[in-house]
Amino acid sequence: MLRRYLARRLLVAIPSLLIATAIVFTLPRLIPGDAVQLMLAETSYAKDIDELRAKLGLDRPFHVQYVEWLGRAARGDLGESLWTRRPVLAELAQRLPVTAELALYATVIALVIAVPVGVLAAARQDSVADYVVRSLAILGLSVPGFWLATLLIVLPAIWWGWRPVTGFVEFRADPLGHVGQLVLPAVILGVAAAAALMRLTRGMLLEVLRQDYVRTAWAKGLAERAVVIKHGLRNAVIPVVTLLGTQLPQILGGRRIIETKIGLPGVSRFLFDAINQRDYPVIQGVNLLVVSTIVVVNLAVDALYAVLDPRIRY
Amino acid sequence: MSASDASLTRRRWLGLAAGAAGAALAPPARAQVPRLEGLPKRGGTLALRGVDPLHFDGMLTSSFKTHALLAFTHSRLVRHRAGPSVVPGTFPIEGDLAESWTQPTETTYVFKLRRGVRWQPKPPVGGRELTAEDVRYSVERFLTVPGNVLASTLRLVERVEAPDRYTVRFTLKEPFAWFLDMLAAPTAVAIVAKECVDKFGDLKKLDACVGSGPWMVESYKPNQSFTLVRNPNYFVPGLPYIDRIEATVDDDAASRMSSFIAGKWDLGYDGGLVFRTEWAQIRDALRQRRPTLRTADVLANIMSHVSMRADQPPFNDVRVRRAMSLAVDRQAIMDATSEGTGALNPPIPAGLKEWSLPIAQLGDGARYYKRDLVEARRLLAAAGHPNGLPASVCFTTYGSAILVDQAQLILAQLKEAGIDARLDQKEYGAYFSTCFVGKFDSLAFGPQPNFLEPDGFLTQYQPGEPRNQSHVDDPVATDLILRQRRTLDVMKRRELIHAVQRHLAAQQYYVAIHSGLSVAVWDSALKNYGPNLGYDLGGRLTAAWLDR
Repeated sequence: MLRRYLARRLLVAIPSLLIATAIVFTLPRLIPGDAVQLMLAETSYAKDIDELRAKLGLDRPFHVQYVEWLGRAARGDLGESLWTRRPVLAELAQRLPVTAELALYATVIALVIAVPVGVLAAARQDSVADYVVRSLAILGLSVPGFWLATLLIVLPAIWWGWRPVTGFVEFRADPLGHVGQLVLPAVILGVAAAAALMRLTRGMLLEVLRQDYVRTAWAKGLAERAVVIKHGLRNAVIPVVTLLGTQLPQILGGRRIIETKIGLPGVSRFLFDAINQRDYPVIQGVNLLVVSTIVVVNLAVDALYAVLDPRIRY
Repeated sequence: MSASDASLTRRRWLGLAAGAAGAALAPPARAQVPRLEGLPKRGGTLALRGVDPLHFDGMLTSSFKTHALLAFTHSRLVRHRAGPSVVPGTFPIEGDLAESWTQPTETTYVFKLRRGVRWQPKPPVGGRELTAEDVRYSVERFLTVPGNVLASTLRLVERVEAPDRYTVRFTLKEPFAWFLDMLAAPTAVAIVAKECVDKFGDLKKLDACVGSGPWMVESYKPNQSFTLVRNPNYFVPGLPYIDRIEATVDDDAASRMSSFIAGKWDLGYDGGLVFRTEWAQIRDALRQRRPTLRTADVLANIMSHVSMRADQPPFNDVRVRRAMSLAVDRQAIMDATSEGTGALNPPIPAGLKEWSLPIAQLGDGARYYKRDLVEARRLLAAAGHPNGLPASVCFTTYGSAILVDQAQLILAQLKEAGIDARLDQKEYGAYFSTCFVGKFDSLAFGPQPNFLEPDGFLTQYQPGEPRNQSHVDDPVATDLILRQRRTLDVMKRRELIHAVQRHLAAQQYYVAIHSGLSVAVWDSALKNYGPNLGYDLGGRLTAAWLDR
């Protein structure tokens, strides 16, 4: 049944992807200024603009460009950057692992912090620990990641003349250094994500702990651990998984400031530069990746529901 | 050497060029002779902050991000002299690939190339000899390749020829006094190899980055770093002294400051400079952490201004433009955003010391540089706007808090004079393709390209030029600009440039604010290095060495 459900969802995802690509293809072209005007900058004589636009194939009708791009994308060819002439797919292949690894570490850190702390806060509702944890969660939600990153970079330099690793260390060159350089951004991203997850975990668990079957579990004389973790948490965690599923694409596509501050050659930075330069193939390629990730993650989350809650059947 | 010494060199050279048409002009011998800093030492690695090049084809972009890198890897015919003896803001010219040159007529230049110059030992060129044909090819490509935004700098070149293996002859359409300056600029014709263009189609890819400059690109990792290594074929024996340059890409201001404090880089992180406002933030930490750093103040040639639609009401009325200028308190903006340091700019920025006219010498126009709200309101009333007027200011932040502060101050100051301007903020790309090239309704505000000679700044007053943001069509200004461009005699040209500045000051087509001071800063282990404006850090490091 699950397989059929997933297959059906995948089929439904195709029109979603097509609509998303059409939007992604259209929107950058609606912003004033195109790649050619930006390339020619302050000396954009009309004749030069037309000549270069023709050379880059940007003078053809919009729908022709779209269909051609779509056809190539379906064959795994996302084209070349208009500026650097580097293949978009090759760039993504280099950058995606960096961003994905960062997203993974951030997610792990978020979960490691959020779930135990959320459970503790729920199990000890209105205790000192609960108030402290809730206050910290509000703080985590309130503190912008870029501000925290700035402090963590600037203060050690001023106080001790030291700053975290500059530039990207490849795993092959220095495995420890590679992981070490990702710890700081992963903590920054993870703390922000953990705050929201923790609050949701606490709230959902409190709701579940008030259910009749939990009261029955207590009445049977089960240990607190068994009641809270086995009977409570498992049923409370579905919304948490949903939230996690929505946060992952954000980490993939929207962490330009953190990547820039730490000097990571990730996908977010790539996309930001491309938007500034109206580098259409890159914008399209990265967004196709992000949209695809959202589709896949949502599917995975749906599948996970059935694992977490036996009552859910597809 | 003092500023006057340096400018004398330039004056003497240009004066000779004008006065002795046809006579051979021997440029100064390669002037980066070490002095007062001990004996040169070979070797070492210099660390600096780099920026991602857009790509590696300097003829397909005007971006400093590409040209700053090519200044390390490519040669030009002539170049700006570098070293501790050169006063920042002056740009004496010396031969690079050219050993000497003559000017037989007002419109002909003949360059004799150094013999035995070899390309870097990289495929597909493989270290063959660089000849006049390579120079001819490069100039031809510079002038004709579609998408070269800089081709207009040499638009007066009628033809370029290579009559023999070591001679290049340029024929101009008319006298062009700035011709050598255009060839020497770091954004000028980098000499490229035809084999690379033939093989790669253009020079955008890293593999196509083969020059004859002092260093070669060993590796480049986008958003991360690039490494340059010494070119063993470099045509000046013994140079460069520094074996290796490692540049880290860092696009974040806080991160850059931290890296510099932590001693990651040997040079100020903006091409050897640090903006004064940032310097103020890190100065104390640096005193503690890096007490041996060497510093020098350098007046920037970056100038921000308010441009106005001078081709349509109300800004086609000189009284309104003057009122705009009188409403703006330049000194207050400088105090608030540049710690009170810097200089007010006439039409040619004060940073170009040899050509800029001090405000006090602008004649009648000088009074429009000092705030006078009463007079501003009187002029507005006389122009038919007794209750002031509305306006919009097209703007983008460039990611700079200073620029945002300046824009806000200008808006507030204009409002006090009755000009109710609202900010029309655009995303960078939208701004660049519209307002930056004069496509806006009433006003725009932002920084302008930082040329190293005055002619570039004057193009913003010429009809038909995309850089003419205010849509200026002023026959007097046009005549003076064209005449200075055709006047080879330096003294006479300077008089014309002063005259056009006086005229433009009275017309106020642009309300220029100050240029800030930057701090040139470098590690004391770096010897025989002299800071200057412009992107030619490669040129300034060629004869420098490390003494650690």
